[in-house]
Amino acid sequence: MRYVKISKQNTYEFLERLKKIGTLYAPHKISEKFFDFCEVDDVKDVMFEYQRTIRPPRRFFYPEREVLFTFDTRKVELYENLPSDKKQILFGVHSCDIVALRTMDSKFIDDQPDPYYKSRRENGIVIGLSCLPDEYCFCNVRRVEFVDAGFDLFFHELPDGFLVRVGTVVGHKLVDPYEGELFEEVCPDDTENMSKFEEKRTSMFTTQGNWDNLRYFMELRLNHPMYIRESEKCLGCGNCTLTCPSCKCYDVQDIPSIDGRTGERIRFWDSCQFRSHGLVAGDHNFRETKQDRFHNRYQCKNSYCSATTTSFCVGCGRCTYFCPADIQFKKNLMEIAGYKGGYS
Amino acid sequence: MSQSKTQDEGKENIYDTAKCRLLRKYKLSESDKLFLFRFEDPEIATNWRFKPGQFVEVSLLGLGEVPISICSSARRMGFFELCIRNAGRVTSQIHKLQPGSLVGIRGPYGNGFPMEQFYNRDLLLVAAGLGMAPLRSVFLYAIDNRWLFGNITIINSAKFGNELLFKRELEAMKDIATAEDISIVQTATRDPDFKGLHGRATSHFEKVNVDPKNCAVAMCGPPAMYKGMFEELIARGYDPRYIFVTLERRMKCGVGKCGHCNIGTATSWKYACKDGPVFDYYAITSIPGLI
Ligand SMILES: Cc1cc2nc3c(=O)[nH]c(=O)nc-3n(C[C@H](O)[C@H](O)[C@H](O)COP(=O)(O)OP(=O)(O)OC[C@H]3O[C@@H](n4cnc5c(N)ncnc54)[C@H](O)[C@@H]3O)c2cc1C
Ligand code: SF4
Ligand code: SF4
Ligand code: FES
Repeated sequence: MRYVKISKQNTYEFLERLKKIGTLYAPHKISEKFFDFCEVDDVKDVMFEYQRTIRPPRRFFYPEREVLFTFDTRKVELYENLPSDKKQILFGVHSCDIVALRTMDSKFIDDQPDPYYKSRRENGIVIGLSCLPDEYCFCNVRRVEFVDAGFDLFFHELPDGFLVRVGTVVGHKLVDPYEGELFEEVCPDDTENMSKFEEKRTSMFTTQGNWDNLRYFMELRLNHPMYIRESEKCLGCGNCTLTCPSCKCYDVQDIPSIDGRTGERIRFWDSCQFRSHGLVAGDHNFRETKQDRFHNRYQCKNSYCSATTTSFCVGCGRCTYFCPADIQFKKNLMEIAGYKGGYS
Repeated sequence: MSQSKTQDEGKENIYDTAKCRLLRKYKLSESDKLFLFRFEDPEIATNWRFKPGQFVEVSLLGLGEVPISICSSARRMGFFELCIRNAGRVTSQIHKLQPGSLVGIRGPYGNGFPMEQFYNRDLLLVAAGLGMAPLRSVFLYAIDNRWLFGNITIINSAKFGNELLFKRELEAMKDIATAEDISIVQTATRDPDFKGLHGRATSHFEKVNVDPKNCAVAMCGPPAMYKGMFEELIARGYDPRYIFVTLERRMKCGVGKCGHCNIGTATSWKYACKDGPVFDYYAITSIPGLI
């Protein structure tokens, strides 16, 4: 792998130049408590230290709502509405979110690829950024706290800048023109500092070990009382799935024009926490109760993604941080698996 | 518009539909009609293939899409049939279509029944209600390739006698059936006035004319029927490796994307549309929540 270094000052300049390649998005502070990826206007507004964005980065490749087709009902024809091939650059994506995107890829770019998602992914540049965990994070036990793939560049914080890992040819091409100008060689001190950062980071996680056997315990304890207790608190609002970086359920609807001759076939994010998710004709519901739906999410998020060899849940903590009912996903999973905190 | 003939090639838009013209419709019961469609594009019409147990998404612009099993023979090329129950928004409009109308079709989707594994075996097909639709496709496949299969028994059941799908078509088979070792058992479960057999599928095993040890079983009906049938079949010595059922879930995309049809648990998370809708005995009995 190629490693280069960039100073903090030059990073701002680099971001400035990225803006010329495409639309640049990076973490911004949007309110007292929350962060989100926003289009970068003034590079000085970019937040290099943040825990999690309220909206997951998947929305850049798979928007909350999009028109798949327009149609003509008399000709009975659909007209594709594929995304433009404008470049989108995401700067500041954390390790967990990068793996989450790869779990999305495994479903959306399979043997029957989704052309909308695929096209945006192909026109996307992902630049990772190191982070320090808070008490909601558990990416380490999910084994996704340090990514090997899925980024073009990855910025690791140093006291005086960043050590940058170059992940793809696209990444090389971003670095090449500025080698010697913005990017310099990595020296042993930088590596030492990266080590220290990683060591500090590792010690900060409130859970340790790995949760590889979790999904088996979840199956062996299908009727665990936790599900009843916790689902009673749940409001069914769907925040947990909307904010999740690896949730991908969507619904599709035809919106006809007023005269009914034309219209749009749109898709929009759905949530398994909504009653309508499993509802079929004849008013039969495959996930009838709130507990059924709550349980469904726990199983789905902990299922195995063979492309990443991890679970779909990457331990970003969003579903707990943004839950209005304060339902603690991490804690509940530990209860099911019998993990006592600390080392498992 | 690009009209893809096989949507597995990955070059085309998987959500795009191909135009199909409704050629005929027949009433099968008060709420079910049989629709005969043909692809407008002659190339698609001649090259389109499907397997028994697969389904298509039928699209009515402005209303949406619904998953429907293909119920015709996979060997009769150029057209296909769908048996559709008037169940809601989209299906009620399909029922109102007149011959000559156009709909959009994408598919075929799902794994379908593994017909090759059934070769040289007897066949037992057990249907309840609409379940006869996909099983008709299995049956016609066996008829069209008669030399590849042994004895065939169909148990077709419905709540009421006049809801038995394809009743007369199956009845008509009886004329040649004996010589061909085909048994047709049609039973109504809640219809005392029905002039025919009464009771559930499980109560008619004495009419089943197959060798359990060398028989493939395909079932389509409600989960309760599967539970009862599994017990009976195992007790009677049927080989569990050759017992298959189809599952129904809410389906929106049909291609493993939208997540609506998700089933299973953390170690075995499945999409009924893509990993199914056909599942084998071991999947059904080892993955909680499938039935
Ligand atoms: C694999 C598969 C095969 C099927 N084969 C047949 C068949 O051969 N014949 C037949 O009559 N019906 C079949 N169905 C059921 C059929 O899809 C529903 O009856 C139909 O979707 C109802 O749509 P609606 O708009 O009329 O009803 P509404 O109740 O208005 O439904 C609204 C929407 O919900 C979804 N939906 C509702 N019910 C179902 C359902 N049962 N399954 C999946 N999605 C649903 C659809 O997207 C539908 O457009 C099959 C379902 C599946 C999953
Ligand atoms: S965010 Fe919390 S309250 Fe809302 S659906 Fe999820 S678990 Fe339930
Ligand atoms: S399930 Fe919760 S912790 Fe896991 S990836 Fe989704 S939002 Fe993050
Ligand atoms: S129907 Fe969309 S994933 Fe199965």
